[in-house]
Amino acid sequence: MALLLEIVTPDRRVFCEKVEHVVLPSSTGEIDILPGHIPLLSMLVPGELRYSQDGKTSSMAIDKGFIQVRGDKVSILAEAAIDVSKIDLSAVDDARKAAQDALEEARLKGEDPAIIEELETKARFTVIQSLVKRH
Amino acid sequence: MPNLRDIKRRIRSVKNTGKITRAMQLVASSKMKRAQNAAIAARPYAQMLAEVLASIHRDEDCADACGINPFIAKREAITRGILILSTDKGLAGPLNSNMFRYIGTELKDEKVRFFAVGRKGSQFLARTARDLAASFSVSDRVPYKEVRPVVESLTQAYLSGEIDTIEVLYPRFINNLRQEVTLEPIAPIPSLDKLLELYKGRPDETAEPPIANDTREMIFEPDVKSILDEIIDLYIRRVVHQMMLEAQASEQSARMVAMKTATDNAKDLESRLTLKYNKARQSAITQELVEISAATMLAQQ
Repeated sequence: MALLLEIVTPDRRVFCEKVEHVVLPSSTGEIDILPGHIPLLSMLVPGELRYSQDGKTSSMAIDKGFIQVRGDKVSILAEAAIDVSKIDLSAVDDARKAAQDALEEARLKGEDPAIIEELETKARFTVIQSLVKRH
Repeated sequence: MPNLRDIKRRIRSVKNTGKITRAMQLVASSKMKRAQNAAIAARPYAQMLAEVLASIHRDEDCADACGINPFIAKREAITRGILILSTDKGLAGPLNSNMFRYIGTELKDEKVRFFAVGRKGSQFLARTARDLAASFSVSDRVPYKEVRPVVESLTQAYLSGEIDTIEVLYPRFINNLRQEVTLEPIAPIPSLDKLLELYKGRPDETAEPPIANDTREMIFEPDVKSILDEIIDLYIRRVVHQMMLEAQASEQSARMVAMKTATDNAKDLESRLTLKYNKARQSAITQELVEISAATMLAQQ
């Protein structure tokens, strides 16, 4: 028995593999999903996602979205996702600084809410990445 | 006898046009690749979003929440709201005119309020004096943020009762040679199973394994209403974005094919004109020779 974990973001399908279990940050707290879980639809909050595969645990930084569990398949729709091993902290720190500066500037200038939201997403995801990586 | 200089001028102009169309073909083909990749890469997300929405839709416990959600609840379609995804520039073969023909034939007697993306669409609607509510322009890469104003004006008009449906008319990308004019309803959300079929029916090499049939009751956290509100908002935006990406892929492919045909035609015409020019030149020389020899013969006599 194994779970099929599928993670998609707007630009691509990030992950689609069999895993043993997966721990997710949901809007009601962290949830652990094992095979045979009851069908569930929940909101995903930004944070760390952990899954184990062949006894090894890996984690991913993940942005907000939705979780759907149905028949041993966990589907995750997230705004962004990245494997922890691929996070480059120095690059992330730079990106965070750039994103926050841009956000600050956009707010001061009273930019379009659409642009502000995009920048917020960017800034938020960089924060999550560094938190998850340092953890 | 055709004038030599005229033919020569014509050859030169055909040659130049051929150069332009060839350059446009190359530009379109590089843009096409990118647009196609973007459209294909975004499909899984849109598809999964539709899947999640479908599972809420199917769940009987959610009937109440669905019933009051304005985007799901059925309502009588008095004024249809249609968004047209046309191109900004021309020279894309029959891409736009196919859509306009569809409007002229299929939607002739309907009460429709149009929203247009692309200059060609708004020009057509203005020319034919149709009810055009708003027009937008979207750049080549179709960034997500450019979708928002379009979707916002549609949803506002829908919620205020100005329009009773949200539909999108766009050239769906099938392959390089085929783009199909498609009218897709977005709200009120139609039978989602049908929508899923549509996504599944598309060639997608990264197609996912089917979901095992699970009949157990679904739990919703924190509750159906808040999930539904969030997801529908996201769904409409994503679906429109996906359609725009597809329309972009269609536009670039159509333009590439049209420009390739034009380049081929220009080459063909050029070689025919060159032949004609050579013939004319030859006959002019012959004529001159005849005249000279006639003159010498006359002088000898």
